[in-house]
Amino acid sequence: MEKVRKELLQGTLDLLILKALSTGSLHGWDISKRIAVVSKDRLSLKQGSLYPALHRLEGWAWIAAEWGVSDAGRSAKFYRLTNPGRTQLEAEKEHWLSFASAMANVLNMEEAL
Amino acid sequence: MSSDHLNWLRVKFRRLLRRGQQETELDTEMQFHFDQLTEEYRASGLSEHDARLAARRDFGATDAYREETRDTWRPAALADLWRSILFAIRSLARSPGFTFVAIITLTLGIGANTSMFSIVNGIMLKPLPYADSHKMDRIYRATAADPTGGVAPADLSHLKSELASYGEIASYVYSDMSLSEPGQPAQMADALRVSSNFFSVFATQPHLGRAFQPTEEIEGNHRVLVISNRMWRNRFGSRDDIIGHTVRINGEPNEIVGVMPESFNDWRYMGWVDVFRPLGLSPAEITDQERKIMNLVGRRAPDVTADEGAQLIAGFGIRLAQDFPASNSESSWRQVSLDVLKAGERSHLILAMLVGLSGFVLLIACSNLANLLLARTMARAREFAVRAALGASRSQLIRPLMIEATLLALVGGVGAVMVALAAHQWLATRSTGDNGEQVVFILDWTVMAWASLASLATAIAFGIAPALFAMRLDLNQTLKSGSRGTTGNRGQQKLRNLLIIGQFALAMVLLTGATLFIRGLDDLNNRRSGWESDQLVTGTFLLPEANYGDTEKITAFQRLTLERLQALPGVDSASVAHHQPFLHWPSTRRLWIEGHDLPAAGHEPAALLNGVSPAYFETVETSLLTGRAFKESDTAKSTAVYIINESMARGLFGDESPIGRRLASAVGDIPAWGEIVGVAADVKSIFPEATPVTFQIYRPMTQSAQHLNQLAVRTSGIAPSAVVESIRSVMTELDPDLPLNQLQPANTTIARANYQLGVLRDMLSSFAVLGLALAALGIYGVIARTVALRTSEFGIRLALGAQVNDIIRLVLSSGTRLALYGAALGLVGAFGISKLLGTAFPNMAIERGPVLLTTTVVLIAVALLASYLPARKAAKISPTEALRAE
Repeated sequence: MEKVRKELLQGTLDLLILKALSTGSLHGWDISKRIAVVSKDRLSLKQGSLYPALHRLEGWAWIAAEWGVSDAGRSAKFYRLTNPGRTQLEAEKEHWLSFASAMANVLNMEEAL
Repeated sequence: MSSDHLNWLRVKFRRLLRRGQQETELDTEMQFHFDQLTEEYRASGLSEHDARLAARRDFGATDAYREETRDTWRPAALADLWRSILFAIRSLARSPGFTFVAIITLTLGIGANTSMFSIVNGIMLKPLPYADSHKMDRIYRATAADPTGGVAPADLSHLKSELASYGEIASYVYSDMSLSEPGQPAQMADALRVSSNFFSVFATQPHLGRAFQPTEEIEGNHRVLVISNRMWRNRFGSRDDIIGHTVRINGEPNEIVGVMPESFNDWRYMGWVDVFRPLGLSPAEITDQERKIMNLVGRRAPDVTADEGAQLIAGFGIRLAQDFPASNSESSWRQVSLDVLKAGERSHLILAMLVGLSGFVLLIACSNLANLLLARTMARAREFAVRAALGASRSQLIRPLMIEATLLALVGGVGAVMVALAAHQWLATRSTGDNGEQVVFILDWTVMAWASLASLATAIAFGIAPALFAMRLDLNQTLKSGSRGTTGNRGQQKLRNLLIIGQFALAMVLLTGATLFIRGLDDLNNRRSGWESDQLVTGTFLLPEANYGDTEKITAFQRLTLERLQALPGVDSASVAHHQPFLHWPSTRRLWIEGHDLPAAGHEPAALLNGVSPAYFETVETSLLTGRAFKESDTAKSTAVYIINESMARGLFGDESPIGRRLASAVGDIPAWGEIVGVAADVKSIFPEATPVTFQIYRPMTQSAQHLNQLAVRTSGIAPSAVVESIRSVMTELDPDLPLNQLQPANTTIARANYQLGVLRDMLSSFAVLGLALAALGIYGVIARTVALRTSEFGIRLALGAQVNDIIRLVLSSGTRLALYGAALGLVGAFGISKLLGTAFPNMAIERGPVLLTTTVVLIAVALLASYLPARKAAKISPTEALRAE
């Protein structure tokens, strides 16, 4: 499969992070791995750009952070979803899916006619 | 509150306050990620070096992400603002010349203003140190000759019985006295004799000891003293056992019963007084209706407003005039609030003028900056056009300009506070009073608040013009018109010219005010009006009443002293008088003239009185126009004699000779006639206040002896300062207890007398110099810019055959025209300020005509000079180069 264009659509990174954290708390490295694995490496991002996004989400209280110890035994910052974050994830997901299906409908219009 | 909320609060808190920790944590976090990434590449078989490179590629621009993350820590608006501020700082740093000029301009402009405010704050806004001072009034018996006249002791008893509802009224009499102790040199002290309720009217009780008791007002019980805190400190070393200590006042033992608190030293009101004594009026004095020596100060009862108080006082004056027309018909009574008098009735006008003028300096500074910033913005027009074309909103366009202006103003504000501090230091040194008490203008938070307010207002004032310009920018035009900036359209050109014209108008007012004042003060200090102060030594001595009880003793001492002084080498002549010719003559006499109709009581002609020894006219060089001087044979027992001044001779006798005519003090029922034996030249004092009375009369010392004596000694061949010590030793030999004050060359006394005006002159001059320099800078900037932008036009003109001189003339005339318009506009204000100075200082020579002419010429000269530099540059334009550059 082809890689999606490099620039992520505005706002999608936030959604990806929220989704990645929906199953438990992770540190930044794990989040980037998770996104890469789940998207089958099709959504590539500069990994550093994760951090401004994480801090922004923390500022909005959608995620919370705590210092812990990584598998390798080093100290790392673990992020988890908060309740408002979970609500936001649901809302965003809904919004995104309906947007995507609408776009798909429009783009397939000619074939349907 | 859920744990999420708490956590979130903690996050916000840390972001706000624990910036350092936040940074380290972010570094740790990113480093961890980076290390993991490197590790992964290394595991896949890359070398250490390649793994790092690959990781760096994947991770992206670390610094940019770090900066972006930092932004998320700041509230969004703040982050934006911070970026704009950084942008503004960078953009200012790119043009250091502009930034430097702008900051200096602002520092001086706001500095002048802040200094002025600190003075107003110190004089006017700071309350007097007496509780409820707004309830206090001075009460005057005003006459045409003296609007702040005193009252006779007899009036006081009427006042007290009739004005019980007004509140409490205290009275005091000015009376300098000599103070001596065994083994210490005698000193003269500024002193008051006060009623026993004086201190309670001022709501200030002694810091040590007690105030006076009513019984001590009676003569005989009055030998007690309250001294100032300053005297306690300076003369008695702040001794705690001072109460009960005895000193000699005018030769008599007096007991110190109280010491006033430090706060009573406030220079604005009673601060100059060192010794307070009870009134101690004799029974004869208490019923005296003639000598208006009592000064009144009142504290209104709590329910009496200022208006009601004024009505009570005025009404009393009217009744008094009806009941005692002989001594009161020409006077009215009035009160002035102590708060108004804080720094003198006149100083309101002067302060208002100074505040206004310092505002002018700030206005010039502002318009200069507006011009500078406008020119700068025009030069960057392309940058603005591009940004506008890329979709920057109006606020995004204007914001950097406003932020630049605000930054400049803030730095200028800090500089201004430093200027104010320096000015404060200078003023404190310059305005120290004769008694060493400093006039202190506190630099408190109100001053700081003023400085910041002024800075902010300034920023808005000069930031708005360029902002408006940026908003009206025509994108198409600007982007098309080549790579250079723009001259601006006609409207903008007009605005800049208007700013220059305004600057010159304000500079005209400043320059006129300062020049008028400098010349006026110069005139006062160099005035030789009926006297000559070069080669003259003057001093004051007070003969203690206890040792010099009668006229005979006083006269004998004066004669002996003058004989001895006259015998000193280098001394031409020596004399004593009631008053020095160049200072105030405070005492007036109403006169009857023999052979003239008797005017209604209270309407007799009044004259200032001086008592002088025979050699006086020779010593001070007041010329005698006709008749003779006083002689040794004019004694207390011989016929009373007078010498009158020229104005009086002309005013009363016209062309007739006044010699041999007789006049008398308008006192009592039977005139005590005295004969006019001479006419002397008019004498004018060095003070800026006008004397409403222009008639002057002299009596022989022997016929009007008093204890306070003004000594004058004329030297020849040697400097006056060289005889000061020998004069002092002669006096000490004659009476070791005699306090001798201010014995120094007369010119020293004269220079010192108007020292406050000197301070004022220096302030006005610095405002004028500042204003003029700023205006010159402004016109230079504008003309230089115009020349730079018209280079190609000048090139074409030259190519078409214009002479270099034509180009120079073109540039010069454009600058001079602006200055001329400004000067013409400024004439109105200049005329106003000359009127204002004339009102404030009636005795000062205000030569409006020549000064206005001079200042106009100076302004145009400055404009010519400032435009000459750019004009020369224009003249050097080479037509070929100018055209090629296009």
